[in-house]
Amino acid sequence: MKYIILLLFLAMSANAQNNHAHHDSIKNLEEVRVKNAAKKKIETDMKMAVSVDEFLSSAANISFIKRGAYAWEPLLNNMTTERSTVTIDGMHIFGACTDKMDPITSYVESNNLASIDIKSGQEGSLHGATIAGSIDLKRRSTPFSTERKWNGGYQTGFEFNNKQFFNLGNVSYSSNKFVADASISYRTADNYHDGNNDEVKHSQYNKFNTALGLAYKTSELSSVRFDAIFDQAKDVGFPALPMDLWLSRALITSASYKQLFQESWFKAVDTKVYYNAIEHYMDDTTRPENLVHMDMPGWSTTYGLISKANLQKNTYSSEIQLNAYDNLSIAEMRMYPQDRSKRTMFAYSWPWVTTRFAGLSMNNFWDISEKSQVNLGGSLGVNYNYSKFVEFNWIFHPGAPQEKTRILPSLHAGYQLELEHFNFSVGTGYGERAPSVSEGYGYYIYNSFDRYDYIGNPDLKNEISQELNASAGFRNERLNIVGKVNYFYIQNYIIGKILSMGSPMNYQSVGVKGYTSLDHAALFNMSLNTSYNILEHLHWSGTLTYARGTDDKGGNLPFIRPLSYLTSLHFMHKNFGIQTSVNGDFEQINYSPEYGEDQTPAYTIWNLSADYTFKINKVRSTIQVGAENLLNEYYSTYADWGNIPRMGRNIFTSLKVNF
Amino acid sequence: MRFFNFLAAAFAFAAVSCTLDKTDYEAEIGLEVPESYEFKEAVSLNTGNFKISIDALNGTFYKGYNELHLRILNTQTNQNITDSEVTFLPVMTNSDESKTSCPHQYAMKFDAAGKYFSGYSVFTSESVAGSSWKLYLSFTADNQKYEITKDISVAKQDNKNLNMTAFTGKDGEQYYIALVAPQKPKVAENALTAGIYKYNKPTTTAGTFPDPSQFSYSEVTGYTLKLDPRMPEPSMGNHSSPNNKDLTQQNDGLYHGVVNYTMTGNWTLNMILTNQNGLIVKGTVVPTDFTPGIEGVKSELYIDTLF
Repeated sequence: MKYIILLLFLAMSANAQNNHAHHDSIKNLEEVRVKNAAKKKIETDMKMAVSVDEFLSSAANISFIKRGAYAWEPLLNNMTTERSTVTIDGMHIFGACTDKMDPITSYVESNNLASIDIKSGQEGSLHGATIAGSIDLKRRSTPFSTERKWNGGYQTGFEFNNKQFFNLGNVSYSSNKFVADASISYRTADNYHDGNNDEVKHSQYNKFNTALGLAYKTSELSSVRFDAIFDQAKDVGFPALPMDLWLSRALITSASYKQLFQESWFKAVDTKVYYNAIEHYMDDTTRPENLVHMDMPGWSTTYGLISKANLQKNTYSSEIQLNAYDNLSIAEMRMYPQDRSKRTMFAYSWPWVTTRFAGLSMNNFWDISEKSQVNLGGSLGVNYNYSKFVEFNWIFHPGAPQEKTRILPSLHAGYQLELEHFNFSVGTGYGERAPSVSEGYGYYIYNSFDRYDYIGNPDLKNEISQELNASAGFRNERLNIVGKVNYFYIQNYIIGKILSMGSPMNYQSVGVKGYTSLDHAALFNMSLNTSYNILEHLHWSGTLTYARGTDDKGGNLPFIRPLSYLTSLHFMHKNFGIQTSVNGDFEQINYSPEYGEDQTPAYTIWNLSADYTFKINKVRSTIQVGAENLLNEYYSTYADWGNIPRMGRNIFTSLKVNF
Repeated sequence: MRFFNFLAAAFAFAAVSCTLDKTDYEAEIGLEVPESYEFKEAVSLNTGNFKISIDALNGTFYKGYNELHLRILNTQTNQNITDSEVTFLPVMTNSDESKTSCPHQYAMKFDAAGKYFSGYSVFTSESVAGSSWKLYLSFTADNQKYEITKDISVAKQDNKNLNMTAFTGKDGEQYYIALVAPQKPKVAENALTAGIYKYNKPTTTAGTFPDPSQFSYSEVTGYTLKLDPRMPEPSMGNHSSPNNKDLTQQNDGLYHGVVNYTMTGNWTLNMILTNQNGLIVKGTVVPTDFTPGIEGVKSELYIDTLF
């Protein structure tokens, strides 16, 4: 089956990823933002008021590990967040939770984002060393304007399944000299119900987010900008985990200076310093089944610098970026004995691990002809780790070095060709990454998926990825087809293997696994996107994705998405729109019992929504009513932690007002 | 405008506040473990022209292993005696007037570097009402033998890492195991030192009290102390650690091995003592299963530690 699809796909063609930077029109400040083909509006086909996670999941190469209704961990090209770089405007932020309950995407809200820029493989190495690619969350920033302008938006909505109620507001002011953006939001949700109408306990959440951005024009061609995001989640349930979140807070700040050059081939330099601090406190007192109480606070603090330059001369353009950051990750475990008067037990799960990275990245583009373009890029980074309380690492790895410096090179090349309606691209890449804090220095980090305690290994080798990618597309007035494939051959693939020594520490654990390097692993991803305009007001689109991941013995890697599909119809007439979609996964054939997976059956979900847009005075408003999982199917996906069931039928309503 | 100013102020506030404090780990480790590395005078006695002082860690005799430094000062010449035969015998009188001793070094050795006579005593119990310890010392000076006695007080051992145990082995002999180091363990591989002693049953009838032959103890030689450290707390489910090393005897007469503590808290050192022929003198193999909620089963032979 898959070969047929592959052939089908290779035979086809369309818009290749013609998403390199365009720098031609740098005339004044507001046009400086170098846009890649990113998702433009933060909304999906089905839903206009979405969370960041819901929005990201509409991208074909993103899937999610879900531990509940909140803070889904994005997988890019079927690889977990250790292998991708997730940044906010290029700023590195590291979650403070050892159990990945706080991916970076959980610290933003849809109303402080303008777009999300997803790059696959080494093309994403601009922001730092990566294997899978990069996800850059672009913040909203209003351009300077010649006349004074106020803009704003407000969204509210209610979702019936989990009684989610949200209010998102944003306002911006722009003038010739000064720009301000602000947003504020609050979401609250109860437990959701699965397809059998059973309540999924501990799936509630409460999230508050606010952001502020201020920019001043310091001269005709320069500006300074200050940005801050404050995010706070409280009382968040994680039904798939043995504990919940009591509180997590993030403060994400930056100050940047941008200088444009008019006459030079040096077009723009944008330099930013940033600071972010995350604190994350888990709570297991909400779970009476836990006989052991354990405090697991975590802190992550990052300082960083990004400096980016854009160059252009004739048919050549280039972006150069310097990334540097210093992160300190701390996570504690304090276990309480049943007799609380007795002494508590204490250990670090992240023993004050410092990560310093500095790297220079470059992306170059040459237009060989009107129709074809070559790009060549690379980066060279230095990664330094320091474990303050290295004695914890010595328990399993006696004599492991307290400090470790790694050189992380990366190279990638691509070729794009446009022929009439057809569009092709091929590319290749080489990249290395350093182990994450958990992989290198983690200590008894409990993984409730396979129920093992994980131990990091400071001596792990760099993961080395070699990749090939290709795309082909066809576009005419009615039909648009894009097929993409990529293949990663990853040496020293880091994964947990059962250790014969040591015994578990966490209450639910069955054994100890150590992060080790497989000789290699291979990952293959493909996606096919098609859209077709059946009538002027009736559009169809479909997506098919397939992936396969194998380890060095030909066994399956975990969390690889089975064959999945999405098909949707969109009908618009005047101010009225109606859309319906069906999506699902086929049966998971290539699952991995070795890494704790069981086989996930196929499922199909049907969604339906309708919206109406109207204007009162100058205020444009849209209301939407819809239902997800209309048939109330009971299902869980291959990447639902512990097979927790997904949400059953969910009727949602929302109102969006823009002025 | 005021709105943006307000927001900016709010962010400035958020930047300086932190919700929960981080653990001060260095302080945490030192919290419950009294540690003493300084030898101070624990007792002094006078006879004739001589002043004898015995130094112990922290100036106190504790239950368990005590390294002792003994000095004899000639008060006439104000000179320390360096050439002498010093004997040391601690005797405890129980409430029923029976007398016992404990593992000790009877003939103390002169330490030229420290200019003292060194020995040790493993006090098997602390002084309580009705049972008291007395030291019987003798030394020679100017070809004359001096004998003196002194009541001493043995304090409770506050540092669980210096605990001891006494037991009768399968061979019918009375054994003593006392922890010597580390005083202050870390979450790490700790060099573990213990003294293993046995009581030499008298082969002759008692002479005049105190007859050393009735109170004879010796270091056990060539045995192996097998080690299996575990956390006994039910919530820890019989948690153990890798890379531990059994204790074997080294040149200093003490037994040395490695204990790997994976976290702070209560630990039990489960032990099996085997003799030169590998036969078990005392101790049982403990279950290695992870049994959350159940207190860990201890070996017949164990010492509890805490840090």
